[in-house]
Amino acid sequence: MGQLKLDKIQKFYGDFEVLKSIGLEVKNGEFVVFVGPSGCGKSTLLRMIAGLDSTSTGDILIDGVRVNDKPPVQRGIAMVFQSYALYPHMTVFENIAFPLRVERLPEETIREKVEAVAKILQLDKRLHQKPGMLSGGQRQRVAIGRAIVREPKIFLFDEPLSNLDAALRADMRIELSKLHQDLKATMIYVTHDQVEAMTMADRIVVLNAGEIAQVGAPLELYHKPQNLFVAGFIGNPKMNFMPVTCTATDEHGVTVSYAGQSVTLPVAARPDLVGQTLTLGIRPEHLSLGSGDLTVTVTPSVIERLGVNTVAYAALPSGENYCALLPGSAPVRVGAPMQTGIRATDCHLFDGKGQAFERRVDWQTLDRPAVTAA
Amino acid sequence: MREPAQLINRYRWYEIVGIYCGIAVFLTFVLAPFVEGFLVSLKPLSQLFSSPYRFIPENGSFEAYRTMWESVPGFARYIFNSFFISTIVTTVVLCMVVPAAYAFARFEFKGRGTLLAAFLAVNMFSGAVLLIPLFRLMRTLGVLNTYFAMIVPGVAFLIPSAIWLLRTYMMRIPRELDEAAYVDGASHFYTLRRVILPIAMPGITVVAITTFIGSYAQQFIFALTFNAKSEYMPLPVGLFAYFGRQEVVWNELMAASFVGIAPAMIVIFFLQRYLVSGLTAGAVKQ
Ligand SMILES: Nc1ncnc2c1ncn2[C@@H]1O[C@H](COP(=O)(O)OP(=O)(O)O)[C@@H](O)[C@H]1O
Ligand SMILES: [Mg+2]
Repeated sequence: MGQLKLDKIQKFYGDFEVLKSIGLEVKNGEFVVFVGPSGCGKSTLLRMIAGLDSTSTGDILIDGVRVNDKPPVQRGIAMVFQSYALYPHMTVFENIAFPLRVERLPEETIREKVEAVAKILQLDKRLHQKPGMLSGGQRQRVAIGRAIVREPKIFLFDEPLSNLDAALRADMRIELSKLHQDLKATMIYVTHDQVEAMTMADRIVVLNAGEIAQVGAPLELYHKPQNLFVAGFIGNPKMNFMPVTCTATDEHGVTVSYAGQSVTLPVAARPDLVGQTLTLGIRPEHLSLGSGDLTVTVTPSVIERLGVNTVAYAALPSGENYCALLPGSAPVRVGAPMQTGIRATDCHLFDGKGQAFERRVDWQTLDRPAVTAA
Repeated sequence: MREPAQLINRYRWYEIVGIYCGIAVFLTFVLAPFVEGFLVSLKPLSQLFSSPYRFIPENGSFEAYRTMWESVPGFARYIFNSFFISTIVTTVVLCMVVPAAYAFARFEFKGRGTLLAAFLAVNMFSGAVLLIPLFRLMRTLGVLNTYFAMIVPGVAFLIPSAIWLLRTYMMRIPRELDEAAYVDGASHFYTLRRVILPIAMPGITVVAITTFIGSYAQQFIFALTFNAKSEYMPLPVGLFAYFGRQEVVWNELMAASFVGIAPAMIVIFFLQRYLVSGLTAGAVKQ
């Protein structure tokens, strides 16, 4: 079992509140990713779960037992560090065997376990080498091996792939996902890379400045971000935001006007909205050339042609960046006006405080292929 | 084959000449006394005061290396004493400094900064300034004229710089290694023994060498003050025996000096094997 509960966790460094009342439950066997910009407190949170840092207030429960005052081994966790933290003077075998030697297991058992782990991680031929002779990916696998060999209830990963190059990172993502399926252990994974979060997580926890911005399945965050931060953080290129004015609300949604055009967005309305300035969000990949429910004409200043699609960057008259991700080689040119159409059902709407109006869409029907395939 | 020099390491010919000239000047000052001392040890005493003075000995021989043992019969004992005192001092210093340096490098505790500053301050007084108080202390404790009297002050005065040296080295070992070991259930002592010690070996070797040399150098003053028994005398005091009533037996004195440092040279030669750098390669990402 590896069930984790964080109850109103706070952390201060001096007067600086790094984490602000974090509450979260992680189910046994779940792959949860903490994602957020650098310095938002992801590592701090993970280190507190590990037992390397203490909480200022709040409780950490593993399988229902309060573990705040227990050392890491007794919590049943294992941690993989961003910098690998391998012992440079020991062979790969000894590195992986380290936790077992601490436990004083018999030599025979140690050999069996280490060899089994080495096989899973394809390190069997490297057991007698020192970390200095290994490539980055192999070093990271040794670090993972050292975590696996103890058979912990919960694995903690702190940006384990951020020191690897892009190709290797993609491979390791797949390996880690497989490992999770094989071990069926609870994994908590910290990253600032939203691709890693989207591809590996059962659930993503988006952190912003020490607070949980949103918790949800990857596609839920993509389709139904609860606030501007999550909307801007998840998705690449970033979601476009444009200022609109609310003109009416009814049971079908909120009607807003932008540059003389009016459009009704299918979102849950709230009272007293008329006249307020709201923020409309639209993902670059949901823009199409030509007209739509809302039509915006801009002049691209930079165009990137990636073959599979074309990215056009422009600015709105109000100054915001406006980006369009168009399929294939799109007929757009730098300096020539580009007409983009927006469908009302694709739009997100946020109030003055950055909170989203709930979209009247079921994200599971939006991504039916993904859901039915699962 | 020589690799082509990197651009940044490429010098013009006059720069190279300048560099070598500079090296030559300093090397001359450092090495000339050794060469001269060695040549003197080869000369018969009568030739030493010949004028004009000749650097290269005529019919030089290693005779002095034989007669030195006869003119000062206790000399072997002096060498042993020096070696013995330095070895004990180095061992004791290492045993105390390794855990202390680890603690100073890793743990936050009250008074850490003050203690470190105090160590530096102690280093500013040489032992010589404190000789009289130390002498009175030793007399009160009744340990004058023992090995103990030469070892304990030696240890005390060598510990501060050793802690500073080793602490700096240990701070360069990534903290994640300690944390990883801690997460895997290792105690602080287990981590120190299995992880930190092996990685810190080059640093420990440097500390061992400097301590050994430091102990060799400082024995003279402690031995002169705290010890009157000739059988406990270390090498530097022993060399005084070649200063006879009327004349100094220079050639034997020089020969004895070279023989006297030999054991220390051998120790250092063996220790420097551990001075390999780059032991942390592959520990964390660079
Ligand atoms: N030991 C510390 N003392 C003071 N501030 C710290 C300490 N560790 C981290 N912080 C601060 O806490 C914040 C969160 O850090 P961290 O958890 O490492 O961020 P992340 O891993 O999300 O990049 C940062 O602003 C950092 O400056
Ligand atoms: Mg971090």
